Amino acid sequence: MTDSTFHSLEAAIADEHFPEVDLVLRRGRHIGRDDGTAYDYLVDAQALLEGFYARFGCELVQRSDGYFYLLPAGDRLGRRQLSAGEMLVGQTLALLYLDPATLQHGGLIGREALLQRLSGLLGTDVLVRTLSPRKRKYDERIAAEMVRAQVGEALRRLADLGFVDILDEACLRLRPALLRFAEPVRGLADANLALERLVARGEVLLGEADGDEAGADDEEPGP
Amino acid sequence: MTSPDPSRVIASLARDQVNLDLKTVDLCFLAGLYMRADKAALASFEEDVLVDMFEQVCDVVDPAAENPRKRATHAIQRLREQRMLARVDGAGLVRAGEYALTRLAAAVVEYFLADEALTRESLTLLTGTLRAQLAEILAAAKKVEGGEAWHTRVSGPLRVTVADLVSGIERRQRGLDAQQEEVQAEIATLLSVDWFSAVDRCQALLDTTTSTLRELNEILLRDTHHFVALLQEIQTLAAAASNADAEATVQRVIEHVDRIAAWGGARQRSWSEYYQYVHRYLRDVVRLDPDRALSQRLRDQLAGWPPRPFHLLVAHAPSIRLLRQLEARVERPPVTRPRADREANPEWVEAENLLADIEALVRQVLDQGAGTLAEVTSRVLPIVPEPVRYAATGRIADALARRAPVWSERERPWVPVLETLEVEDWAVDRGGGS
Repeated sequence: MTDSTFHSLEAAIADEHFPEVDLVLRRGRHIGRDDGTAYDYLVDAQALLEGFYARFGCELVQRSDGYFYLLPAGDRLGRRQLSAGEMLVGQTLALLYLDPATLQHGGLIGREALLQRLSGLLGTDVLVRTLSPRKRKYDERIAAEMVRAQVGEALRRLADLGFVDILDEACLRLRPALLRFAEPVRGLADANLALERLVARGEVLLGEADGDEAGADDEEPGP
Repeated sequence: MTSPDPSRVIASLARDQVNLDLKTVDLCFLAGLYMRADKAALASFEEDVLVDMFEQVCDVVDPAAENPRKRATHAIQRLREQRMLARVDGAGLVRAGEYALTRLAAAVVEYFLADEALTRESLTLLTGTLRAQLAEILAAAKKVEGGEAWHTRVSGPLRVTVADLVSGIERRQRGLDAQQEEVQAEIATLLSVDWFSAVDRCQALLDTTTSTLRELNEILLRDTHHFVALLQEIQTLAAAASNADAEATVQRVIEHVDRIAAWGGARQRSWSEYYQYVHRYLRDVVRLDPDRALSQRLRDQLAGWPPRPFHLLVAHAPSIRLLRQLEARVERPPVTRPRADREANPEWVEAENLLADIEALVRQVLDQGAGTLAEVTSRVLPIVPEPVRYAATGRIADALARRAPVWSERERPWVPVLETLEVEDWAVDRGGGS
């Protein structure tokens, strides 16, 4: 804290970055090094803001991969769990992030590469049934269209959360926050134990997503 | 030297059906000729030399090929048609020809052979020559008088010598771009193959390219500034001498130089982004996972996700609700329209009974002695309103048949009625009575 530019919480809150950073953190965005001065501000004010957010029942988490996010621990700030589509797309993007082939293009990938990897890893049938569990029968063409639409929607939401940047219709830039999807398997410990620890920390929920595909809201009033 | 209109150029290329169709053996043949000319300082080749060279190329590219001399003849013809080889002797049938590589062939071969990336040495040499050349042109521009002198001593050297030097720098810039792409691909390959063991080599590649780019950019920034200053001075002199041609030529060279300078900045920025990304990757992914186990575990996690799902939790504070302004709360009035008595009293009108009227009229006409259907119809219809006359015709026939016995010939004649109608006529049987 001694290296910080800010000597008091008042000074940290008075900084011009605070309103925007605070708003996006509360909306679930992950702020990384790619966000430039917003990230620098958080690094600088971290010690002061941790206490500030703790009063709202939230933890300001910083990962060594270079990103911050807000984790609601109590019931004072609303929270939501990611939908099945967002989870599948997020994990696949994390896999692509780890792939050295992605490195060649500086972390840029095409949507087609994502869809190919997703269907290659899960198979079309599992993919369709996971994304539309209520459908018993499906037409292949319509199912493919539905998968593309749901992946597109998941990408849009993941972009809002700071996991990926959508550069244009075809191109995406992967961000380090994607490694949150790999968190259960990052350690050498048993993945189930790691998952239990993450559940206990309030990072993940086990089981089917509540509500619709758009991501269930765990509605709790804001401060 | 005006820039050609792109649309016209494209249209003319399309009209001439320009195309290139070079097979591997053709390219190898051209490359062999190019290198031979370079080594032996040859400006042209005799026909036998061409055939020999083709046979040598054939031995390497397609050793099993039959009749290489015949193939050589076809290859030479093919390359001449595509403007890769030109016959330069002009002797026609008199003796065997002499051929030279065209500018197009040289450019194609150079693309594959030349390793012309920008280096500190080549850039310093090129920029030094360019500066000396520009200084010379500036000195000439200060002395020359008259349009012809401006053309030969200023515009000409700017178009040829300076433009060539600037293009040389640009060509080498493109070479360096290609080299950068190769470095990026090499880093990806090194990591794919050796993962953790490749970290140091990747770091070295990154650092080398970074320092090369930084040095080049520094030279470009310094020297292009100097070039532009010299060129602007020449342009001012051209403007003072009212030489529009020289002025436009200088302007084109200035734009070219600006483009070169912009290249340096843009490449350094994009390389810097790439450098940071790779550096982070090496630190956060490769060094933390030396056995490269994370990818496999994540793949397993994803494959096993549908039966055993889990979901990340994120903060989700709803947007602040903005209360509406007071005036917005005013109840919107219901949709209304002026009150009016829309119930009109019915009017008394005369009762209509066309059927009864027709019956009465037919009886009246019969009583007056009408003897045929046509006659009855002709006398009744004018009394009936015009819009219903057609329908009334049938009613009249019906009433007539009921009121009096009728008879007709086997072929009933069509008789006109009131100019617009015709009826099949009947006669009233007066003998039978009604």
